[in-house]
Amino acid sequence: MNSKEKTESTSSKKWMKILIPLVGIGGFGAVAIFGAFFAFIITAWWGQPIPILGFEQTVEQPISFPHTIHASTNQLEHVSENGDPIMGLGMDCTFCHRTVTKQKNAGVPPVALCTTCHSVIGSKDSIALSNVRKAGGIEGNDPQPINWKRVHRMPDHVRFVHEPHIRYLLENPDTIKNTTSGVKEGAAGVCSTCHGDVASMEQVAQVEALKMGQCVDCHRDNGAPTDCAVCHH
Amino acid sequence: MTTAEFGKQNWGMVVDIDKCTGCQACVLACQSENNIPLNTQNRFERARAISWIRVERYWEGDFPDVHARFIPILCQQCENAPCEPVCPVYATYHNSEGLNIQVYNRCVGTRYCANGCPFTVRFFNYWEPVWPDSLRNHLNPDVTVRSRGIMEKCSFCIQRIRRGVRTANKENRGIVDGEIQTACSQACPTSALVFGDLNDKESKVSKLKNDDRNYKLLPHLNLEQNVTYLAKVDPEKKIESHSEEAISHE
Repeated sequence: MNSKEKTESTSSKKWMKILIPLVGIGGFGAVAIFGAFFAFIITAWWGQPIPILGFEQTVEQPISFPHTIHASTNQLEHVSENGDPIMGLGMDCTFCHRTVTKQKNAGVPPVALCTTCHSVIGSKDSIALSNVRKAGGIEGNDPQPINWKRVHRMPDHVRFVHEPHIRYLLENPDTIKNTTSGVKEGAAGVCSTCHGDVASMEQVAQVEALKMGQCVDCHRDNGAPTDCAVCHH
Repeated sequence: MTTAEFGKQNWGMVVDIDKCTGCQACVLACQSENNIPLNTQNRFERARAISWIRVERYWEGDFPDVHARFIPILCQQCENAPCEPVCPVYATYHNSEGLNIQVYNRCVGTRYCANGCPFTVRFFNYWEPVWPDSLRNHLNPDVTVRSRGIMEKCSFCIQRIRRGVRTANKENRGIVDGEIQTACSQACPTSALVFGDLNDKESKVSKLKNDDRNYKLLPHLNLEQNVTYLAKVDPEKKIESHSEEAISHE
């Protein structure tokens, strides 16, 4: 009887020697995982989520429209077929987003505006451009609007209007934040305050969190009303 | 005043009951302007229909001398609103424009405010709003679609006020009287509903508010409403005794 108890206790001691480190490692691991998870939640709560695991604040468009070539005024990263450096076209933002200085929405242009240039300009081999021409009815007989995906989306209970914001920023150039690598004159120079340097983005991503705190801070700093019903109605 | 500053106006309305014919055009205009869910038979039967403005009908007299009397009832935008202090989350409050604001994203749906309102013009969304496919694109993009579980009420077409103020600021001028109209006052065929700025002493609504016929609903509650009414002029009403004496004296 005595010897049996002894063997049991020795075997349990052996087990404890394995179990205690295992529990310790497991505990630390669990704490680390929970910590990382809460850190992720808190960063997402205060600003934007860390751009991993599909939380990148960008959307793949049906036609990969490069803002760099169209809007940038700097030299582009890639070179032409002859090896010459390419400069961005430096188009004004309002050339395509035409309603931004007059209305609520910035507006996405009709395909007709794209095909004004791209019926002639651009490589014949480019898949993206041939899709634009198909959508515009230049190639084939099936013209269709392009289903652009929205990148900057406000919640449904927020009523944001572009027009007064652009008017204010144009009147008060000191309040413009971020710098753009595109056109700096006129309405195109103020977009970077909320949208970042879109002219240097191959695929547009949301860089500012655009949460209510940011709206209210800016409204308070610039003497704009901070009444709820200014935006929520 | 060169620009329309925020909070310089006090929006109000005067409803001339003498002009109201009970045609319900205001009700329909409100429903389509403010994305109000369709009131189906089921909702009416449960007394849970939503209509920010309603035309109440009263019968007077006995058959065959029966007269219908109409009175449009909308949110009275009370300065001493009974709905405001009861809200636990500050979702309803009075702003500097004289409007009783309902903040949809703050509301948690306690329904205390609806119980406090003596005019029953606050409505609770018991269901998720649904529209048939044919009406899919009819929604007003300037108005939030209220989801299930939150209160809603007449906002004095705040989206139109915002648009009017924005236009005035853009053109660097003050707001012209009559420039901003609510959906109901715009739709009214007899102009019984007049909307405007009560701080502007020259506005149509301020002048009507000083009219002798002007009265407030439920005056004993001291609600200081921004919506007032003009009493009905009844041509068939018999002249009161003292005025009869006055006539006989002459």
